[in-house]
Amino acid sequence: MTAGISVIGLTKTYGDHTVLDDLHLTFAAGKIHGLLGANGTGKTTLMSLMSRHTFPTRGSVLLDDREFGEDPRQAQRLCFVRENQLYNDAFKVRDVLRIAPDFYPKWDAATTTRLVDRFRLPPATVVKKLSRGQRSALAIVLALGSRADFTFLDEPYLGLDPGARETFYEELIRSYGAQPRTIIMSTHLVDEAAPLLEEVVVLNQGRVALQAPLEEAEALALTLSGPTTSLDRWLQEHPDHPSLTRRTLGPTATVTTLGPLSDAESASASQAQLRVTSTSLQGLVAALGNSNHEVA
Amino acid sequence: MIDGPRPIFVELADAIADDILVGTYPPDAQVPSTNELAAHHRINPATAGKALNRLVDEGLLVKRRGLGMFVADNAPELLRKRRLDDFEAQFIAPLRTEAQRLGISYAELHALLDKDHS
Repeated sequence: MTAGISVIGLTKTYGDHTVLDDLHLTFAAGKIHGLLGANGTGKTTLMSLMSRHTFPTRGSVLLDDREFGEDPRQAQRLCFVRENQLYNDAFKVRDVLRIAPDFYPKWDAATTTRLVDRFRLPPATVVKKLSRGQRSALAIVLALGSRADFTFLDEPYLGLDPGARETFYEELIRSYGAQPRTIIMSTHLVDEAAPLLEEVVVLNQGRVALQAPLEEAEALALTLSGPTTSLDRWLQEHPDHPSLTRRTLGPTATVTTLGPLSDAESASASQAQLRVTSTSLQGLVAALGNSNHEVA
Repeated sequence: MIDGPRPIFVELADAIADDILVGTYPPDAQVPSTNELAAHHRINPATAGKALNRLVDEGLLVKRRGLGMFVADNAPELLRKRRLDDFEAQFIAPLRTEAQRLGISYAELHALLDKDHS
């Protein structure tokens, strides 16, 4: 049995636009996964399909090895508050929080109360009138409060100031520590969110460009820089280390590539007057997004 | 050699080791739990757990089932010995290399080392 959420041959097309292309992926249970990649690569679509807000063109989604739809109780195990979530026009913040426990059997009232307070959410305000940041805060309250087995967070920080984001990160870890569950979070603030993650998935143009534990993913990203001619010669001699992105400056060039380098490769790079530095995860995500490279 | 940040769990393990070395956590003291460390540093609990396990593997912490992790009796001694062993490679070798690059003679280097000591 594969505990977690799996997608098998998942394809989603809108008209003749293919958003997700024959995706095979498993998000292991009980971990915090980062879902990364440029805009328009299918992150939100994937989350919508996994949480059954929309239906696949082809392929299937398995929850703990069982296909969606076999058991209606599966829906209660999922929580996905969309980035542009619609609420009843008349609902105030307190109404949303009052009915939420009906949808989420594991509702955590204590956490919810603390979060509303920390985010200074006004309970008597109509949700429609909340600011962008307040809407994000409400989505976070619902997502963490649900304690759903599979919780999806889609760029949960939009409109939140740095202080509120810190609060969110702290509360996410606190809530997850108290009750480990599968959390899948998309974010563009990669380096800020990376320490929260255990696993990383990078999507590029509807396909999986990389899936790896955080530390492996972080060790993958390298930059090589030095004299352009010797850099090019080194790259030609080492086809295992593709050039994902490239910038030149006078007679020198800088290339983002995939590591790790063996001792012999490091030695040959330094002999060629090349400087090897590690790149942040954000740099790797950006480079994969600009290169269409898939890590086998 | 690659310059760059080390994995978070290594950084965290070293920070706790520093605290053990200077006596912030003396022998037999309890160190924070995985979840406490994770919430405090806003890092994944698995990462915090790796840091603690690294210190257990190194003999600096001991697990007491159901209670938590405690500083081993000989941890400060072990740490001091290990760091003394690493001292030359970690600090003296780069000092020599940079001095050579700058053309500082050993005599000048000695003089620099003595300067703030007197």
